[in-house]
Amino acid sequence: MINVEIDGKLVETENGSTVMDAAHKAGIHIPHFCYHKKLSIAANCRMCLVEVEKAPKPLPACATPATDGMKVHTHSELAVKAQKGVMEFLLINHPLDCPICDQGGECMLQDVAMGYGATASRYSEEKRIVMQKNIGALISTMEMSRCIQCTRCVRFGQEIAGMMELGMAFRGEHAEIMSFVDSSVDSELAGNMIDLCPVGALTSKPFRYTARNWELSRRKSVSPHDGLGSNLAVHVKNNKVMRVTPIENEDINECWISDRDRFSYEGLNVPERLTKPMLKQGGKWLEVEWPAALEYVAHGLSQIVNEHGAAQIAALATPQSTLEELYLLQKFMRGLGSGNVDFRLRQSDFSADGKQVNAPWLGMKIAEINTRDRLLIVGSFLRKDHPLLAQRVRQAVKHGAQANIVHSSNDDLLMPVANKAIVAPNELLNVLAQILKALAVEKKATPDASVQGVEVGSAAAAIAKSLASGERAAVLLGNFAQQHPQAVQLALLAERISALCGAQFGYLGEAANTVGGYLAGAVPYGNGALFIEKRISPRRPKDVVQGMNAAQMLASPRKAYLLLNVEPELDMHDPQQAMTAMRAADMVVALSAYKHHATDYADVLLPIAPFTETSGTFVSSEGRAQSFKGTVKPLGEARPAWKVLRVLGNLLDIQGFEYDTSEEVRDAMLSGHNVADKLNNHVEGVAIQAVMSASDAGMQRVANVPIYSTDAVVRRAASLQKTSDASTPCVKMHGNELRKLGVQSGGAVKVSQGRATVRLEVQADDTMPAGTARVAAGHPATAELGAMFGTITVERA
Amino acid sequence: MEKITNFFKTFLLYELVKGMALTGRYFFARKITVQYPEEKTPLGFRFRGLHAKRRYANGEERCIGCKLCEAVCPALAIKIEIAEREDGTRRTTQYDIDLYKCIFCGFCEESCPVDAIVETRMFEYYGDKPGDLYYTKQMLLAMGDKYEEQIAKDRLADAKYR
Repeated sequence: MINVEIDGKLVETENGSTVMDAAHKAGIHIPHFCYHKKLSIAANCRMCLVEVEKAPKPLPACATPATDGMKVHTHSELAVKAQKGVMEFLLINHPLDCPICDQGGECMLQDVAMGYGATASRYSEEKRIVMQKNIGALISTMEMSRCIQCTRCVRFGQEIAGMMELGMAFRGEHAEIMSFVDSSVDSELAGNMIDLCPVGALTSKPFRYTARNWELSRRKSVSPHDGLGSNLAVHVKNNKVMRVTPIENEDINECWISDRDRFSYEGLNVPERLTKPMLKQGGKWLEVEWPAALEYVAHGLSQIVNEHGAAQIAALATPQSTLEELYLLQKFMRGLGSGNVDFRLRQSDFSADGKQVNAPWLGMKIAEINTRDRLLIVGSFLRKDHPLLAQRVRQAVKHGAQANIVHSSNDDLLMPVANKAIVAPNELLNVLAQILKALAVEKKATPDASVQGVEVGSAAAAIAKSLASGERAAVLLGNFAQQHPQAVQLALLAERISALCGAQFGYLGEAANTVGGYLAGAVPYGNGALFIEKRISPRRPKDVVQGMNAAQMLASPRKAYLLLNVEPELDMHDPQQAMTAMRAADMVVALSAYKHHATDYADVLLPIAPFTETSGTFVSSEGRAQSFKGTVKPLGEARPAWKVLRVLGNLLDIQGFEYDTSEEVRDAMLSGHNVADKLNNHVEGVAIQAVMSASDAGMQRVANVPIYSTDAVVRRAASLQKTSDASTPCVKMHGNELRKLGVQSGGAVKVSQGRATVRLEVQADDTMPAGTARVAAGHPATAELGAMFGTITVERA
Repeated sequence: MEKITNFFKTFLLYELVKGMALTGRYFFARKITVQYPEEKTPLGFRFRGLHAKRRYANGEERCIGCKLCEAVCPALAIKIEIAEREDGTRRTTQYDIDLYKCIFCGFCEESCPVDAIVETRMFEYYGDKPGDLYYTKQMLLAMGDKYEEQIAKDRLADAKYR
């Protein structure tokens, strides 16, 4: 620790910190543009010039290391003169078009110019003009003349997003920020550049010229799109969400959010929004009043219970639903006497049901990922599924961690990956077994009997070696691994691996309430579930009604389905089977914010509020329960789903539906419980099966859920849908496989699975393992296909 | 002594005569009454009357939809909606001034970076029925078109003081 005197204030600061850091500690503001605490130091704006005693000239505070006994003056005559001089230079080429600039009112340059700018300019020559560039659907560069060359966006791309998509070309007055020739900015974190830009050079395209920032009220919310629970500031004007920005939370999203969180709000204001309850009568959809719709549902459900039994009713919910909605849904179902409730829509292996006592979670705090020195990430499209988590892994790798990947697709993670094992989905288990065996040898332990038979390959040996040499390792299972037909076996092996190398073992949560769904009990199994004592069943009050899981509900079709936010053709593991079940059902009640495909098979559409219009709670991957309030009023006659479920419960005379607020629902669930006690990844009573080498089972499907297809709101966000990540999925196969088919890359192929065949473009990707074809799920173009895993036929079209 | 003076003043109606003298003086003096509406008082170039929206000489409306007038308006009389026009410029889609609310403080005019919203010398207007004095963008532009000559002259006269 060293002592620095700033403006007469003595500050103790760490060795190696800068004058800027010390000033922050002392609570003294030094004007700056290029400096950002999360980015490297560039010192190219020169705004932070300060006077340091015994230094001949003013020094930039952001790049000057603090030394013991240093005396700094930030507001002395010399410092202010230097700062004003810099300001004048910066304003020479700045267009001063603040009245039409979207940044106006929240602009760093504007703010600093108020303090350090002159009233009039001495510069009377022509200002420079920088032409706009088209860098994609999200970021507007219409007024690049405003740029002051702070290079924050460039450094963000290099250091945080991992790809340098913007750079500074040319020199001096001709210097300008641009992307590579004709390429757009495609990073899934690119929207943060809008926040970083201290002037209005990079602005939000969807938000462009729609509102001024002083008209907006900022309301806190939480992102539903991934398991991180990013803190959002939802900006509202006239009861409409105008834009979304991050709220800084060092433990969760730092000061970033992904583009999915930032731009998904566009999906909230689309004409497709359902604003009135609708009933299908005689093949025609009629708009009706709420009481009529609810009566109809209550009557229909009780009729099915009476005629066919409660087990004929099934409920599906997306993991993006709030904790309160999931809790009331399962309570409603169990109140009817049916345990058929599930939120794990894309999961296919349910063999741990009832054996996993607590909710599976990340296994550590999100912030701890940065401090890991060895990582094994199994089955994850990390960058697209968890953009900000990938960013944390990137920071860990930058600080020396080794990332090891076991996956079926070799996506570029934009970071150095120590070892990779890219194999077909049905080989994943084998690779993990190999790693386990090799690790046991490394650690001089006896390998489990189940993995004795496998032959350790070089990749697995290298991964094991990497893991064995670390001190703070983590083994993480991604969405792909959790959706895998042998997910539980994968988890068991991963757990054994982490136990051997002392690693943290965790699951990357698919959506906001992937942990919360378990806590709410929205799973069909009873005895292991969490808040068992609060569930009410009229017949066996002490016992929890057990039922069918998501796969079983569809495999043996039920008479009635209750869909909470679900679009079965896009959200399910096997959309083909899901659609068959929906069409065969006597009654389908869709609680949805949108008039979606359900108009084909549903009988009732109940308009519910998306996350910005309802209060609720999300429990993130790390087990953090974050409650939020509604930011705007529900559109039209849409209502928060918890209210809808509450009234349905009342109509059917189910006990324990007397909640008046969503907080009461939450407290009924969580008060008196410590969420942390309910998180455990351990599976009891499932044995590790002997791992065999997979037999040749034909072409294997590798299905990712594209980043902008994850849930109903994102799928309708217009600007996100224009990005390259949202382009119509094409089949990706190894070049050799294409030659076998006799198809050129870029040609068309027929992809068949189950009963359906779709025509898609094919692309050669020589990093795909042999015998696999990557066909995205969750997209309308592939919605007719079957399960996300398994055999798929690809033929020449 | 004072008592005696007061007695005689009361007795001789001194106050009345004094008052009548003033009345008489004004009775014969030159009248300053303006015979409105036949006659009109002179108005300054900063007179703050009815609002108008101006155009440039090429017919393009000046307003860029910066909303500063809306933000500064103390009576919350201005309502603006903006959108990007096809040519990429920032334009208003709605610009209303509720003259029932307006207090004619002139802040809108002062805040305008492009002299688009101005207050004219026009103060003789009325509304027949409720809502008549809710001026929309079209009405304001029409005002501007009608009085542009006078407005431009007034701005020019005021320019050296700004």
